[in-house]
Amino acid sequence: MNLQEFTQSKYNFEECMKCTVCTAYCPVLQVNPLYPGPKQAGPDGERLRLKDPFFFNYALKYCMNCKRCEVACPSGVKVADLIQAARIKHDHSKPKLRDRMLASTDTMGSLARPLAPVVNATIGLGVTKSLLDATLKIDKHRTFPKYSGRSFEGWLKRHAKAQAAFPEQVAYFHGCYVNYNYPQLGKDLVKVLNALGVGVQLLEKEKCCSIALITNGMSGKATKQATHNVGVLRKAIIDKGLKVLTTSSTCSLTLRDEYPGLLGIDNSDIRGAIQIAVRYIYEKLEGGAKLEFKPDYHKKIAYHVPCHMERLGWGVFSEKLLRSIPGVEFTLLDSNCCGIAGTYGFKKENYEASQKIGEPLFNQIREVNPDVVACDCETCKWQIEMSTGYKVMNPISILAEALA
Amino acid sequence: MFDVIIIGGGITGAGTQRDCAMRGLKTLLIERSDIATGATGRNHGLLHSGARYAVGDAESAEECIRENMILRKIAAHCIDETDGLFITLPEDDLAYQKTFVESCRKAGISAEIIDPELAKRLEPSVNPELIGAVRVPDGSVDPFRLCAANMLDAKMRGGQVRLHTEVTGFIKEGDTVVGVRTRNLQTGETAEYFAPVIVNAGGIWGHGIAELAGVNVGMFPAKGALLVFAHRVNNMVINRCRKPSNADILVPGDTVCIIGTTSDRIPFEDCDNVAVTPEEVNLLITEGSKLAPSLSSTRILRAYAGVRPLVSADNDPSGRNISRGIVCLDHEVRDGLKGFVTITGGKLMTYRLMAEMATDMVCKKLGVNEVCKTAEVPLPGSEEKSYEDVAKKIWENPTTAQKAAASRHGTAVAAMPTGGRRNDALICECEEVSAGEIKKAIEHMDVSSLTDLRRRTRIGMGTCQGEFCACRAAGLLAKAHGCIERERKDLSDFLQERWKGNYPIGWGDTLREAEYTQWVYKHVLGI
Amino acid sequence: MRFDCVIIGGGLAGLTAGLKLQSKGLDTAIVSTGQNALHFFSGSFASMQEAPAEIIELFSAAGIKLHYEKGVRLMPLGTFRDAELSLEDIELFKAPKFAKKALVVNLSGFHDFFASFLAEGLEKQGISCQIRSINFPELEALAKSPSEMRSVQIARIMDRITDKVIREVRMLLSDEDAVVLPQVFGLQDSAVIEQLRKGIPVRVVFAGTLPPSVPGIRTQMLLKRRYEALGGTFMASDEVLKAHLYEGRVHSIATRNLDNHFIEADNFILATGGYFSKGLRSNPFGISEPIFGLDVRFDENRSAWYNPSFAADQPYMKYGVVTDASLHALREGKALENVFAIGSILGGTRPELGTGAGLAIRSALEASNQILNIK
Repeated sequence: MNLQEFTQSKYNFEECMKCTVCTAYCPVLQVNPLYPGPKQAGPDGERLRLKDPFFFNYALKYCMNCKRCEVACPSGVKVADLIQAARIKHDHSKPKLRDRMLASTDTMGSLARPLAPVVNATIGLGVTKSLLDATLKIDKHRTFPKYSGRSFEGWLKRHAKAQAAFPEQVAYFHGCYVNYNYPQLGKDLVKVLNALGVGVQLLEKEKCCSIALITNGMSGKATKQATHNVGVLRKAIIDKGLKVLTTSSTCSLTLRDEYPGLLGIDNSDIRGAIQIAVRYIYEKLEGGAKLEFKPDYHKKIAYHVPCHMERLGWGVFSEKLLRSIPGVEFTLLDSNCCGIAGTYGFKKENYEASQKIGEPLFNQIREVNPDVVACDCETCKWQIEMSTGYKVMNPISILAEALA
Repeated sequence: MFDVIIIGGGITGAGTQRDCAMRGLKTLLIERSDIATGATGRNHGLLHSGARYAVGDAESAEECIRENMILRKIAAHCIDETDGLFITLPEDDLAYQKTFVESCRKAGISAEIIDPELAKRLEPSVNPELIGAVRVPDGSVDPFRLCAANMLDAKMRGGQVRLHTEVTGFIKEGDTVVGVRTRNLQTGETAEYFAPVIVNAGGIWGHGIAELAGVNVGMFPAKGALLVFAHRVNNMVINRCRKPSNADILVPGDTVCIIGTTSDRIPFEDCDNVAVTPEEVNLLITEGSKLAPSLSSTRILRAYAGVRPLVSADNDPSGRNISRGIVCLDHEVRDGLKGFVTITGGKLMTYRLMAEMATDMVCKKLGVNEVCKTAEVPLPGSEEKSYEDVAKKIWENPTTAQKAAASRHGTAVAAMPTGGRRNDALICECEEVSAGEIKKAIEHMDVSSLTDLRRRTRIGMGTCQGEFCACRAAGLLAKAHGCIERERKDLSDFLQERWKGNYPIGWGDTLREAEYTQWVYKHVLGI
Repeated sequence: MRFDCVIIGGGLAGLTAGLKLQSKGLDTAIVSTGQNALHFFSGSFASMQEAPAEIIELFSAAGIKLHYEKGVRLMPLGTFRDAELSLEDIELFKAPKFAKKALVVNLSGFHDFFASFLAEGLEKQGISCQIRSINFPELEALAKSPSEMRSVQIARIMDRITDKVIREVRMLLSDEDAVVLPQVFGLQDSAVIEQLRKGIPVRVVFAGTLPPSVPGIRTQMLLKRRYEALGGTFMASDEVLKAHLYEGRVHSIATRNLDNHFIEADNFILATGGYFSKGLRSNPFGISEPIFGLDVRFDENRSAWYNPSFAADQPYMKYGVVTDASLHALREGKALENVFAIGSILGGTRPELGTGAGLAIRSALEASNQILNIK
């Protein structure tokens, strides 16, 4: 008889021992008293919501899904998943135009990209910012990431033949940011992988990973896009036997964990093959591959582990790679949230909180005074650059720069 | 001098006091412990539709459905109208369903045969192998709230209540009982109270009370064990559609759900300290998992047992076949002892009817000619049907704790102090009990200990079983009562009482929590 | 990925072993599933018969000041306990009557500090006592969230207004020779503790609050920071799923985050804690160790696991993983030659090493020495 041999519950909420450790690590709670905190919003609230949906609390929207509560929880409760799942289930309020715009990163990208010079000039103007601030409640301190005139996909397609010539192949889930705003990161990845004898392919047609849709209350559209993505990922992973690499910690977490966890899409057959590029490169080097670095490279690097990278548990790969570059003076920054959390910090109502959350990190960066801050997340990059003035680079770009 | 003294602060005593008070009598209720400490607070909290009794005991079934409909009207804040299912499993005889439905209809209970597929949609936790399902108007009822509301109403009508007071003897004049001698178990103070009629509503302890008065009521202590699961697995009551047996009812109650029960005769001397055995725990999990398979892998919060006050009718060793019928004894007629009435048998569901019968008898003896109105007048707190409306009317944007308090106190929540850190600070995080709610309970609801407080507010009834809230609340109680020494003991007693229900199911997450609680109290706080 | 030693568990035992090995030049990693029991640390290490110079030094390098005296300490509910090795936050007294007259200060609306119990406990020792509450408007914002008037959130604010706290406390003092404050100071840095002691002209005694423990969190943070500064790899959010055994040795472990990227090491230290931390797993049929399937000493009869009295010692807390004299863990009766078990997972199986935080550090040093000797 196996009665009570083990127990289980949705997102492990019954494993909560009420120890309150999560609340000590929640960045939102430190700055926003309207937020009930991860324990109340998560496992405590879940029992009440099971009794009566009337107990759903709309203040759950203040959770920025950074997952630090899950990293802190000694009991393995998926606190942030519980909160996001409760929002998906109970919050039927219609997302605002602003939230829909912020969430639709790829639609916005494909509209803006051909008009990049005009758009970039306009979104940088004070008058546009004030207008956005007043009409859409996008905080005026924020500058939208610039749009690149040429998409990464276009660039890689032009180099497809050369890439196909490499004996080993991987597929690259570049994400909206690389495609529309910063193709250079994608190019850097191609450079590093090529140096290892690996060619890079696009997925058949990727869509945005949809994290912004999920956190902005548009799970219906998110599910559609995610289903599409899982389809194209399967083609690459199962049909072609490729690994799929990413350069964004958030995209990785979404593809691997949020799809099954929050959207109920089974990806168990492909999850293991979706990896962040630093891990793939680390494993290559561990397997005996070599990279040639510039003999005179010198950089003082402070590495910030993004929240989602910490949740993935992969910060160790970036750390080890960066440490392995000759001439790098490495500092690991304390585990702190930068405060942006994707689209969260763009919203006018969150701006102040967002900056306060990031303060300990910003202070430590100023104290260390590095040449460059390394970080695997594009939104952390915007936030840290805007708030400290220090330049932020993805570890992949640093590797590419240091290559001989 | 009172018109009537009621012995016993369970639901029967509280209901009788309310009825007597509503008919204009001057009442005193004496309880040796706290409200609802006997069978009242130690059952499923099932708002029976009567369906369970329909086949075997038509009279009980009819009483149940009548009282069920009445309680929905008068005790809205104590009741959750969940509806119930009677399911037939492959191992059961589907033919019983027909008999069952016919008997229900005869008793006036709506019983609708539904497709098993529909049953699964209505109640996703139900055993998917079911081959038949009947939907009935079962529900759940919170016995603590119900008991407290009855007593509160009696007090508002001039009734007096002495808790933690034991009846040590009866004062007689010839063949008439004229009063009681009592002793306060907390202070040791003794007193005498007089009334022309004394009602024995002591549940299973009524047996001893009757003996003390010199008469014999042949009672039958039948122990029933139950398990509390840590959250609501089901939102409808789930029963087995077969002859009533062990562990065949799963009731969703507030934030938890409860499986039960067993039924075993126990000696009278064990009534004060019933422990749940490993065999009972096994039986409850095994049988419960047949109703809702997920119970086999759901965290259990605690185990507890109650003693049913059945009145012996035959020599059935299990007590199952005894009528749950109401017994109202006029000892003057039965034993020649004047001024003494015993009301017993029955069940939580029919408490109001029992109270009505006892009060009718009291009034007859006193020559009072007032009719019973308890079936029409809502209990204090139940003036509104839904706690959602209550909360929204008082607070534009109710907090979670305010919503939870409204669900516990109904309209009476208006008296809860709110605003500012002193009131709004959360004391019990699992059940969302604020400092204000605790202050209200201490001021208006006869609270002398943490355990009393638990029965009125649910503190310590959630996942952590009082680990964090107990000492926060102890701080508030110490302030109210002004005695730290007493509060230290109270805190220890409370932790002991929680542990008593935890260790019979002490494995997995429950053992993790127990280890943590031990650590916090012994090594961090230094109790 | 390959290390000299992998430590499973990032609590006091795991971090102590990590610090010691890393400082001796080994390349180590700590795999930690969430935070740990340091968050409920009372501030004193139980059962230390002598002053352990090595620990004091190891911790001091991390910025944690420990002191050692045989004495008693004040507990949050107003009782006194024997204590020796303690964090600097904890005052150790020769006898419970540590003052003539004491002022117990609480923060208005804070329910996790037990001023009235403390005062009564002190009165019992012949210390006359006054309770005062300070109302800091800075705490108003916290109070908006009813569940967050908790120690850590308060400490974040108190640490910013230390000067003001000193002024307010000084204003309340008359002829007291001691003041008792809640442990809501020095979340990031114990300098705040020193500042309070310097600024308040009488003896300052900190009494604990309901968890989380502010000095405990600080201790955890400083130990981890030091460990990382020494080049240790701290994997904060991973979980070991299984171990690969070969001829009495563990070759590598698989974790949730790293899928089929196994972590190899010469030695493994198991510091996953007791039941709470899931180092030991229990169900109605028995108690087990989930990662390596180690031998666990427990009573087959479940009724014997518990003492019905809450106040009594609980038998289940004595159960634990079985080890040989040098702390090698046993599996199917045989010692695994490169697996050591330390800390609470030992339960009461090694009574000579003490209990609680004392057991954690003593077994951690012991196992580390074994590993360093092999090298």
